[in-house]
Amino acid sequence: MGEAIVITSGKGGVGKTTTTANLGTALALQGKKVCLIDTDIGLRNLDVILGLENRIIYDLVDVLDGRCKVHQALVKDKRFDDMLYLLPAAQTTDKNAINPEQMKELVTKLKDEYDFVIIDCPAGIEQGYKNAVAGADKAIVVTTPEISAVRDADRIIGLLELEENIEPPKLIINRIRQHLMKAGEALDVNEITTHLSIDLLGIVADDETVISSSNRGEPVVMDPNNRAAMGYRNIARRILGESVPLMTMDQKSGGVFSKIKAIFSK
Amino acid sequence: MRNLVYIKGTKQGLVLQLDDQCSYTDLLTELQAKVSDPALDGSAEVQIHLGNRYCTEAQTKEIIAITQSNSHLRVSSVRSDVITVEESNRRIMERQSETYVGIVRSGQVVKAEGDLVVVGDVNPNAKVVAGGNIYVLGRLKGIAHAGANGNREAVIAASWLEATHLKIDDALETMTDELTVLSEQPEMECAYLHTNGHIIIDRLQELRFIRPQISTFKGGS
Repeated sequence: MGEAIVITSGKGGVGKTTTTANLGTALALQGKKVCLIDTDIGLRNLDVILGLENRIIYDLVDVLDGRCKVHQALVKDKRFDDMLYLLPAAQTTDKNAINPEQMKELVTKLKDEYDFVIIDCPAGIEQGYKNAVAGADKAIVVTTPEISAVRDADRIIGLLELEENIEPPKLIINRIRQHLMKAGEALDVNEITTHLSIDLLGIVADDETVISSSNRGEPVVMDPNNRAAMGYRNIARRILGESVPLMTMDQKSGGVFSKIKAIFSK
Repeated sequence: MRNLVYIKGTKQGLVLQLDDQCSYTDLLTELQAKVSDPALDGSAEVQIHLGNRYCTEAQTKEIIAITQSNSHLRVSSVRSDVITVEESNRRIMERQSETYVGIVRSGQVVKAEGDLVVVGDVNPNAKVVAGGNIYVLGRLKGIAHAGANGNREAVIAASWLEATHLKIDDALETMTDELTVLSEQPEMECAYLHTNGHIIIDRLQELRFIRPQISTFKGGS
């Protein structure tokens, strides 16, 4: 019996879908069987980020309406030998096409076969959100170091705390720009965690390669040396129960000289 | 026949003691007769004592109107020894203190009939409403409304008072940067409604002088 995790944020554009794709991939790389569900009906993106757009035949609404079997709609990611699957959202209808009870039933069924069912939640707190959280056991709230994103995260945490079947949510702070945080221009990690007062699951650096790799359909986490990828890999390890220290966000050190200086300053 | 309306003179002025056993219509007739007595000629303030009679708001108004039909008399107060169960319950609720432990998050509203104690933060866009006083053991960064049922004596106190909006009864203060009362260090502060109708923020230590009635301990030890 696996566990279902919903990735949510309230505000749009903070990186829910990117986080879903990367955490799913990272867990699959760790040898776990993972199923990703895109619940953003009408505005689906997860398939594009994973590079699986062309392989979609059936979607979530087809499954819930009984037009096909679940396994017919699941798209296998061939890069991770049978470990990563995607259940894509429908694009031609809207969020009211499904209801929370149907989602709960589907997620429960999928949990039997997979170690992790990761649900990508749409932005907002309406029908789409209700559908996404219906079957989840755990929740991850994604935010960025911006006041508006933190405010929305606070709202969504309040709603998640009312859900009886979901464990207390955990936090991911995405798109951290170290130079802004140091200059005090952006909220720092400490400020955000004290404000929201929930457990911090991990932090992810802002990195341009996240955009380019999403555009290529390859989650950035596949590149082990990337800064953002390290953040996602650490989060995946923490989800699996390892205790991994929070990575330092300092930029890559300037060059040979600063590295030598660092050695001597120890 | 028994006298249904007694007129008594006290140090505080005239008192109209109304009988509480007779029928309401008899009482009104008698009252009408008494107040139109030409012997009452000096202007005076009168208090009306209803005894154990319960009068609705409309009936009270009627009694006041009849009394004041004599142009010399002015009713200063109407007192009754009984209240309805509903009113009594409301008063009990208002004196009670309710406690909320946890963080009040954006979009959430916590309401109390009487005093409200929040152990935790009140985040931006969250709202706490109380019929009485509001005490926050944590950071008050959202909206607080004390004395919501018309209590202008209510106060808002917080370990860290950084609210966006403060409201006491119907007086609202938006805590913008231009506000001169804003202190640099919003630690241990309280807000109250000044007699000029504006909300004032002061140090928490001043509360015992501003609203001594909040303390339920009397005398020294």
